[in-house]
Amino acid sequence: MRGTSANRWLLLAPSLLWMLLFFFLPLGLIVVMSFAERGPYGGVRWTFGLWNYRQAMDPLYLWVYGRSFALAAVTTALCLGISYPVAYYIALRADPKWKNLLLVLSILPFWTSFLLRTYAWIFMLRVEGFVNTMLLALGVIERPISWLLYSDFAIVIGQVYGELPFMILPLYVALERVDVRLMEAAMDLGANRRQVFWRIVLPLTRPGIITGIVLVFIPSFGAFITPDLLGGAKSAVIGTVIQNQFVQRNQPMGSALSVLLILVMFALLLIASRVTRQRGRR
Amino acid sequence: MSAHPRTSPALVVWMGATYLFLYAPVFVLAVFSFNDSRLLAVWRGFTWAWYEAALSNHPMLEALRTSLLVAALTTLIATMLGTSAALAVQRGHGRLRSLWDALFLLPILVPEIVVGFASVAFFGWIGLRLGLLTVLIAHVAFSVSYVFFVVRARLATLDPRLEEAAMDLGADPWRVFWKVTVPLLVPAIAASALLVFTLSLDDYVITSFVAGAGTTTLPLRIYSMIKTGITPEVNAISTLLLLATLALMALAFRIEQRGMTRTHLVLAGLILLGLVGFAFGDIAMRRPRATLNVLIWSNYISPRVVRAFEEKTGVSVNIETYDSNEALLAKLQAGVVAYDLIVPSDYMVRILIREDLLQPLDLTRLPNLQHLDPSALRLPFDPTNTYSLPYTRGVTGIGYRTDKIASPIGSWADLWDTRWRGRIVMLDDMREVFGAALKLLGYSLNSTDPEQLRQARDLLLRQKPLVRAYDSANFDQLLLSGEAWIAQAWDGQIIKARRENPHIEFVVPREGTTLVVDNLCIPRSAEHPDLAHDFINFLLDPAVAAENMNDIMYLMPNRSAWPRLRPELQRHPIFSIPPERLRRSEYLQDLGPTTVLYDRYWTEVKLAR
Repeated sequence: MRGTSANRWLLLAPSLLWMLLFFFLPLGLIVVMSFAERGPYGGVRWTFGLWNYRQAMDPLYLWVYGRSFALAAVTTALCLGISYPVAYYIALRADPKWKNLLLVLSILPFWTSFLLRTYAWIFMLRVEGFVNTMLLALGVIERPISWLLYSDFAIVIGQVYGELPFMILPLYVALERVDVRLMEAAMDLGANRRQVFWRIVLPLTRPGIITGIVLVFIPSFGAFITPDLLGGAKSAVIGTVIQNQFVQRNQPMGSALSVLLILVMFALLLIASRVTRQRGRR
Repeated sequence: MSAHPRTSPALVVWMGATYLFLYAPVFVLAVFSFNDSRLLAVWRGFTWAWYEAALSNHPMLEALRTSLLVAALTTLIATMLGTSAALAVQRGHGRLRSLWDALFLLPILVPEIVVGFASVAFFGWIGLRLGLLTVLIAHVAFSVSYVFFVVRARLATLDPRLEEAAMDLGADPWRVFWKVTVPLLVPAIAASALLVFTLSLDDYVITSFVAGAGTTTLPLRIYSMIKTGITPEVNAISTLLLLATLALMALAFRIEQRGMTRTHLVLAGLILLGLVGFAFGDIAMRRPRATLNVLIWSNYISPRVVRAFEEKTGVSVNIETYDSNEALLAKLQAGVVAYDLIVPSDYMVRILIREDLLQPLDLTRLPNLQHLDPSALRLPFDPTNTYSLPYTRGVTGIGYRTDKIASPIGSWADLWDTRWRGRIVMLDDMREVFGAALKLLGYSLNSTDPEQLRQARDLLLRQKPLVRAYDSANFDQLLLSGEAWIAQAWDGQIIKARRENPHIEFVVPREGTTLVVDNLCIPRSAEHPDLAHDFINFLLDPAVAAENMNDIMYLMPNRSAWPRLRPELQRHPIFSIPPERLRRSEYLQDLGPTTVLYDRYWTEVKLAR
């Protein structure tokens, strides 16, 4: 169906219309709203100024952005650290018989509910939860550890658990493509295994690493469920703060924070794509 | 290439550890869904009880139905839209292609919290009623992109010569499309449909913003269940859902490996038919039943009372919950919502009246009014009871574990005691938290003096490092499980928790506290005000009120019901509050424009480290 150009527009129109109306128009609305003012009981007053952005530059909010960034960075680093050896094993070391099964098992959790996987960690980390009970029974600790749940520790664990498949998959794809003969050639020329890894495998898989970092970092940075459930409504991150602005009926402020979040993310994406392109050129 | 002689043992151990990390929590979760104990993670014997509870949990099944309905419709619409868009873009000539790509990439990149926030603002702005339609619209909007990219990736790898050959053999374009292109695309379309179905079924964040009365999806229901207390019933539901997903995945995997056989086709068809049947069965089978949508605090109405009303009237009652007056107001202001009955506290009634969000009650239709204690009527926030009737009354206080805390508790200052660092829980409620701080400073909890508020904020900032969690729904469970030792709390749930653990005590601080009256009100936008009146009158019936109180353990100003209360309610601590503490206590009032200052300081407390 090479079709005419009119035909193509006809095919494209419904989804384009849907997205413009129900995705881009709402985004445009909050951009406008971010310059407006809240009413004393909520609602929006359509007087325009920069006050929301000025307030968002308050150290208080900058601290929240910093914290969200740090939590997302730690999450991403842990995901990368855990996933690389796993993807490496599956792609280059595993018996081809098991390869598919191992891969499926590593990404299967993605298909199950994120909410329930987070709940699993509440169950594990509570004071009277599984981890404490086990440690007590084994005599490792004498009194239950109380900081497991409702802490940054819990947020990071939950987040790593939720995002791991998004790191394993792109790494696997990148490692799959590595030509084993390059490694063998390097070995033949006298490189040891460490050199082969750092000078051949790692540079070749850089695009996969960057994709993985982007795929994990972005949702972690704007996360809501894990900080809310595992952080105990106490540890503020940008996601919970935006939600809180909604409850506090300050839609203009929530809009400004949302717009800033999107801008920060695009800046990061831009950096990521620059990095990828530069490496490619070299 | 299989003969890699030197795989280091460390790598193998690492693999094992990772898979353990991925599967152990889910496995433990599943195992304990069979545990014959409510609270502990200690094995107490095998039981099916939690599965029986889950499968007879009517609201949960209703939510599953809603979720399946939304997911099925979303999949259908998004797959059609996304596939046609992919065809149009892939077949178009290059120049605009990267623009379309960027356009479709955005919904995947923008954080869900922003999409939800923007969507509800938009629906409110255009005045579209929040409900099934808005949920569907939002789900399709975030799903189309996934279909677009999956199908487009497949299109890019198609051999154009196949289509050209068909053309050469005399097929017209339409025939080529249906006989050649579509069959080649089926795997990609199926894969993206599966993806969309899963994403829609699992979405919490966006749905929580755009859902309205009667569109509680499964994730929303599970979320509020997790928030109001962990029971193995949630484990049972989780296990069932995980098993269902695994079965679906196994089928999809086999199909991908072996190709679609007739058995698979029949199997998949049967599953689809079953799901659709379940999702739509309600509409087709039952005569259309009116649904009364109730928006109420969590733990605030007895399920038995709800069922009794349903049986008596044939009406179906849908219960949804909120955790603070501010959340209720936000929900009512966000957009057009069709709740028939809400339960705001005193000062919020005043605000709702002022914002014109309530409709007058027809008192002539509420004969059971006569049972109400006159002292709970004609209160300042609604002096003529035009808009509200009292549902419960209570006090805010301190709940604590006597087995963990030996010293006497009796002041708000005890919530600032460094000895209980990390064991203190505060309500996740702006006015209550500031109320405690203001009372501790010796001020009125309705203070509008900026200096006093600043002091209260500083006090709360100093308390923050000691606080384990801010929680309005689950504080009783946190005390029961030992997660917290001392909590700012509302009376009823603590009295109820004492039935399970006698080491839990409730006390009203000597500085005075918040007196609370929660009220039955009908929102202006209610769809069934008649039913709402019937339900209010039913709740005021003495026998019903007694049963309700005996379950939720909050007191109601229903004099005729009091003789039927269980003994621990007859001896409710509310009746024995020392008079001088009662004198120092206050009702919360609407503070007008000062609310903005409260909001700002509350945000500061919540954001602080």
